Amino acid sequence: MNLIDTTSGEESANAPFPMGGGELAELIRAFDWSETSIGAIASWPQSLKTVTDMLLRSPLPIVLLWGPEGIMIYNDAYSVFSGGRHPQLLGSKVREGWPEVADFNDNVMKVGLAGETLSYKDQELTLYRRGRGEQVWMNLDYSPVIDESGQPAGVIAFVVETTERMAAQNELRASEERFRALVTAASNVVYRMSADGKEMRLLDGRGLLSDMDMPRVAWQAEYLFPEDRAAVAREIDEAIRNKRMLEIEHRVRRADGSVGWTFSRAIPLFDAAGEITEWFGAASDVTERHSAEHRLRLVVNELNHRVKNNLAMIQAIASQTFRHAESVTQAQADFTSRIMALAQANDLLTGERGVGASLRGVVEQAMRPHFKDDPTRCDIDGPDVKLSPKTALSLSIAMHELTTNALKYGAWSVPTGKVAITWNRQSTAKGERLRMEWRESGGPPVKPPQKRGFGSRLIERGLAAEMAGEVKMHFEPDGLVCAVDAPVTFGEDA
Amino acid sequence: MTIALLIEEMLIDLGHKVTALAMRLPQGLDLARDSEIDFAILDVNLDGRMSFPIADVLSARGVPFIFATGYGAAGVDAAYGHHIVMKKPFEMRDLADAINIAAAA
Repeated sequence: MNLIDTTSGEESANAPFPMGGGELAELIRAFDWSETSIGAIASWPQSLKTVTDMLLRSPLPIVLLWGPEGIMIYNDAYSVFSGGRHPQLLGSKVREGWPEVADFNDNVMKVGLAGETLSYKDQELTLYRRGRGEQVWMNLDYSPVIDESGQPAGVIAFVVETTERMAAQNELRASEERFRALVTAASNVVYRMSADGKEMRLLDGRGLLSDMDMPRVAWQAEYLFPEDRAAVAREIDEAIRNKRMLEIEHRVRRADGSVGWTFSRAIPLFDAAGEITEWFGAASDVTERHSAEHRLRLVVNELNHRVKNNLAMIQAIASQTFRHAESVTQAQADFTSRIMALAQANDLLTGERGVGASLRGVVEQAMRPHFKDDPTRCDIDGPDVKLSPKTALSLSIAMHELTTNALKYGAWSVPTGKVAITWNRQSTAKGERLRMEWRESGGPPVKPPQKRGFGSRLIERGLAAEMAGEVKMHFEPDGLVCAVDAPVTFGEDA
Repeated sequence: MTIALLIEEMLIDLGHKVTALAMRLPQGLDLARDSEIDFAILDVNLDGRMSFPIADVLSARGVPFIFATGYGAAGVDAAYGHHIVMKKPFEMRDLADAINIAAAA
């Protein structure tokens, strides 16, 4: 403090400048301004002193850029903003003090010294305040400072850094984008619905549903089918009453007009009093999964039905086999072989409902196993005719009975015997008929059985009814003949 | 058809006379319309076609009947829900009970 001569001249002229203040006031007092274009403090015009005094007392970061070079005079708040650049910035030329934004400040000086103001909100600049570039956002306000000549002699700048707020905003925006991406990835549709569920406020259909930009009360008519509305409304009411997440799978009318299924989830948003203010929901397209489930249900039902039918058939076979048995040993053998035939017949039917087997396939499966090595002992000839699953099953069992009988008592019980199976379609007065014949030859002499067993009852009565025609067994001297006469339509659903 | 034969045999054992067997809808309809019967047992699925038209004919004639199906009660249309549905496979005792109840109704 003794550097200042307090004894000479006017009190005010010799008082230390600037008076009081913080770190910057002291630095300004100590600085050798004669090295700059402003000159020593003693020569400063009052206007410069006044503005310097003012900015030193301001809590806002303020910098004064004096003269054409923009010599920098600033306050404590600005020194904090400047980071590592302070204290070298003090008294430096603004274009050199901040070389990384020299162009920006060049414009500031030109505009300011021309008497104009500049104002930037959240201006982004890259500054090197700590030895590395960092993105900085600022509110910048520049205005000219008029000196005693009435001309702009400097520019005063108010610098309010908004980096923190902008970073928070950017983080929020990024977070929103991530959230939106997540919703997009996880579902097809997002929507907002009123607290009572009556009004759809907004719906982003994403191509699945048509978009809804304006709140609509009649949204159910747009998206739901009349017969589903009551059930959907019930689910919504239930969720409102329990103040719980709404989870519902329902049919929708899709944007392209087709019928689809969506799985929809909505969570209630609450006010301070705990009342629902609205629902925020997301829905995804589950049409494919739904139809797959539907198909699966049909298949399971059909499978269940077939299993039950097979069990009933086994029950029937067991009952018939043991009831008419001559001995338990014989009945066990017959039963096993009939179950095997039933299992084989089922192999013909694997595949979907309604897909049947061919007549030739059924006949070959029944006969070939016995004469794989000698095809001359069974002669199969006829056009291919498609059979419904049920008819194929019945015919398989009938074939098994005939084959078994031939092996035991008929043509195949001797080495030279043969069986010929032939069939064809014939046009008759009763419409187109299938005529099929099983003819044994070369076997032992035939004598009609004393009583009809399960096999012949099954063929003459069961197969006849099954094919809606006539089936007759003739015990001719040369061998057994079984003749089928049935309408060709027996194998068709029509 | 094997099952039909089994049921036929059960019916004979129970002292009934079996008029005819039909495995398809048209034959079944003919029988329901024209034959002299006082009772019928209907499989629901006649080779891919539902037997309900036969049920309608029988109802119109006042002939009592029951259903017998591997699908169980779920396989019968709600409109016919008041008729007895036998789930295959079943025992002769059950068949006898079902016939007695349906015939008395």
